[in-house]
Amino acid sequence: MRAPVTAAAGDRPAPRRVGPLTQTDIVRFAGAGGDFNPLHHDPRFATSAGFAKPIAMGQLTAGLLAAWLTDWCGVENLRHYEVRFTAPLSIGDTVKLSGEVTAVESTDGGLAVATMRLTATRDGTTLVSGQALVVVAGKSEPESP
Amino acid sequence: MTDLIGTVVDRVTFDVERGKIREFARATLAEDPVHTDRELAVQCGFSDVLATGTHVVVGGHYRDQRGFVDKLGLELSRVVVGSASWHYRRALVAGDRLAGIRRVVADETRDGRKGGSLRLVTLETEFTDSRGEVAVTQREVLIERGRG
Repeated sequence: MRAPVTAAAGDRPAPRRVGPLTQTDIVRFAGAGGDFNPLHHDPRFATSAGFAKPIAMGQLTAGLLAAWLTDWCGVENLRHYEVRFTAPLSIGDTVKLSGEVTAVESTDGGLAVATMRLTATRDGTTLVSGQALVVVAGKSEPESP
Repeated sequence: MTDLIGTVVDRVTFDVERGKIREFARATLAEDPVHTDRELAVQCGFSDVLATGTHVVVGGHYRDQRGFVDKLGLELSRVVVGSASWHYRRALVAGDRLAGIRRVVADETRDGRKGGSLRLVTLETEFTDSRGEVAVTQREVLIERGRG
């Protein structure tokens, strides 16, 4: 097993920037995940639904944010992940994925569970806000030998 | 509209496949080689490559998107996903076989901020492995905007 990442409240893993998003990125995710709602690839349908052009699936943004998180903490340590979709990600957008450890609570066995606050933003506009619970190694005072 | 609560929306059964894990990892820009390098995954103590955090979304390939929207009495062009969550008992690994039963757990109507009403339907899917244990529980809240 891999050792869990060490984390303390206030830690911010290095953010990731993704983009500019292309129609190809959306189609790739449609093929991976199986969401073939025409809103995401058919310009005429998108217009009829009130959007200027096709928008990404919320699950694409959620997947990008989750992948950024688990690249840092290891997917085997993810216990809970939740996201709220507040604005759509569109073709041409660049999205910034970031987050912060808001609390770390010790559990039995020397490990700890970190609560993370997560966001995917475009030019300061929040597209997705989320939260996660992740098993980590807590930072502790060095013990005397 | 509480009569839909408990309704089974759909059922899916699928294998967690190495190739699909790779596709989904690439589509979401996951860089951890534990999703793509079997040898490394085994060295880390796993039986095969691990799926990414939101991998169960691939269940979409086994679902009838229009069918379930119709079943819930929703109009596809006015539906967006408001939120989603995943609760994990363990990580999914290539070779897992999952059965997911999706149920309506809440159905409510609220006033929208811009007037009109919003219908919020909460769906929960428990993904059970071949030993009958729930590995991942997914929740999604669908929002149907009122007719403009």
